[in-house]
Amino acid sequence: MRNVLAIANKELRSYFASPIAYIVIGVFALLYGWFFVAVLGFFVRQSMQMGQFGGGAQSMNVNQQLIRPLLQNVTILILFMLPAITMRTYSEEKRSGTIELLLTSPITDFQIVIGKFLGALALYAVMLGVSLIHLAILFVYGRPEWKPLLTAYVGLLLFGGCFISVGLFISTLTKNQVVSFMATFGVFLFLWVITWIGSTVPSIEGLVTYLSVIDHFDDFSKGVIDTAHVIYYLSFITFGLFLTAKSVDSERWRG
Amino acid sequence: MIEVQHLTKRYGRVTAVEDVDFKVERGEILGFLGPNGAGKTTTMRILTGFMPATEGKAIVAGFDVFDQPIEAKRRTGYLPETPPLYPDMTVVEYLDFVGKLKGLLPADRRQRVRAVMDRTRITDMADRLCSKLSKGYRQRVGLAQAIIHNPDVLILDEPTAGLDPKQIIETRELIKELSGDHTIILSTHILPEVSQTCDRVVIINKGRVVAVDTPENLTARLRGSETMYLQVDAAHADAPAVLGRLPGVTRVTESDRRDGLVGYEVESEKGHDVRRDLARAVVTSGWGLLELRPMRMSLEEIFLSLTTDETPTATEDGAPNA
Repeated sequence: MRNVLAIANKELRSYFASPIAYIVIGVFALLYGWFFVAVLGFFVRQSMQMGQFGGGAQSMNVNQQLIRPLLQNVTILILFMLPAITMRTYSEEKRSGTIELLLTSPITDFQIVIGKFLGALALYAVMLGVSLIHLAILFVYGRPEWKPLLTAYVGLLLFGGCFISVGLFISTLTKNQVVSFMATFGVFLFLWVITWIGSTVPSIEGLVTYLSVIDHFDDFSKGVIDTAHVIYYLSFITFGLFLTAKSVDSERWRG
Repeated sequence: MIEVQHLTKRYGRVTAVEDVDFKVERGEILGFLGPNGAGKTTTMRILTGFMPATEGKAIVAGFDVFDQPIEAKRRTGYLPETPPLYPDMTVVEYLDFVGKLKGLLPADRRQRVRAVMDRTRITDMADRLCSKLSKGYRQRVGLAQAIIHNPDVLILDEPTAGLDPKQIIETRELIKELSGDHTIILSTHILPEVSQTCDRVVIINKGRVVAVDTPENLTARLRGSETMYLQVDAAHADAPAVLGRLPGVTRVTESDRRDGLVGYEVESEKGHDVRRDLARAVVTSGWGLLELRPMRMSLEEIFLSLTTDETPTATEDGAPNA
């Protein structure tokens, strides 16, 4: 466990020692701020209209009509940000030869993979942390519920975890970070839009809806923690990490 | 301490290492000598558990590297060809990280980091980023990380490659110092290094071991006949004939002629010291004797003769696998 944390810690530090962490967090903060202002503006306009037509502000719900669409937008940002976080994890170690240090140390391949996963997840969590600042403002002026917010963030972490595990796997396949980024992005996007085809072909609709990473997030953003979705995400992550460890192992055999 | 049995590694159709067999005793420095691409790095990577072998067995510090990799790795320090440094860490941070990887406890770790920095003389560079180090220091930090967990076995892949002559000498000294506590395998393609640092040499070529012996024995064994170099002060037409008549001498050839000085190479039977007879013959003939010395076969020549195909000298004493 100690060496797993050592690797996680080293990963996190190396993100902050390079421009990656700052760029990822900076770009995220900017775009998220833009989304926030846009969604907030829309929400305010709508509630004013509601007031005029006598519906009363009562029917407007901050959680349902502001935070939920906002977090849906955040998932799109994540789609672009996460490949940048994972692209170098293994690629860089291979390029610089430090992989030889890791693989000849008294730790298992799986411990290395877990360490790297936790490191990337920590940076991702820091990135998500930025988005909480804006939400804090809502708590100052309004009265949103915090429980659905909490489940939404749990959902975001699990959702991002899936992408990180896939990204780790892809970065074991290449020394080239650009290749790593593009391939990871491609796979993410595919998992995203997989339902587009499924909805037109009834026989596979159930399957593709189940496979779509984003559909499982819906319930979390509504404030529901359904074990089916938790299990889906956790098995997705486990499978990704398993593939990563196997890929590292097969690299050893191929030399 | 290290035992390698019938080690074979194939990459697809290419065989990198074939049926390699050798042993290293505790405290010994074993030199791994061979041209580039001979299979040195592959063998070392198998020993460190970086990659598995296709066939065969490797036992390091009593643990099989395939069956008990964690135990074997805990007792092995490895310096790859390029020191595995993280550019964004300082030397201290890096060594501390490696200490954690190797499973050292916090209190012990701090003390070990200081000790290895002291030993490899990098204390001055403690707070410098690894990316800002010179080649010589990078190599030393690499050595420091290899010994941080005080391993029984040290495996060094070309530890002096790319260093300047002064650094090479320092690194060799350092390796010699370390040999007291550690069993060391080092690879090189620089020949003098082997004769200066190693107790024993394994010569490997095209993935096969062609000779295992001490540097001295290798030199001696490969000398099928003794050759003396003799220089006299003037050209004497009958000199080859006079020298050739001496007991034990098999052949006399003129090797060089310069400023009135003539050099001869005198070959004699093995184990027959003809130096006294040669000197006496020169003096009694009234020639001036300027030089008389045995011509040793240098390691370079041995190396070439062993790694060039089918040299009879290599098989003479039953060198393994030759």
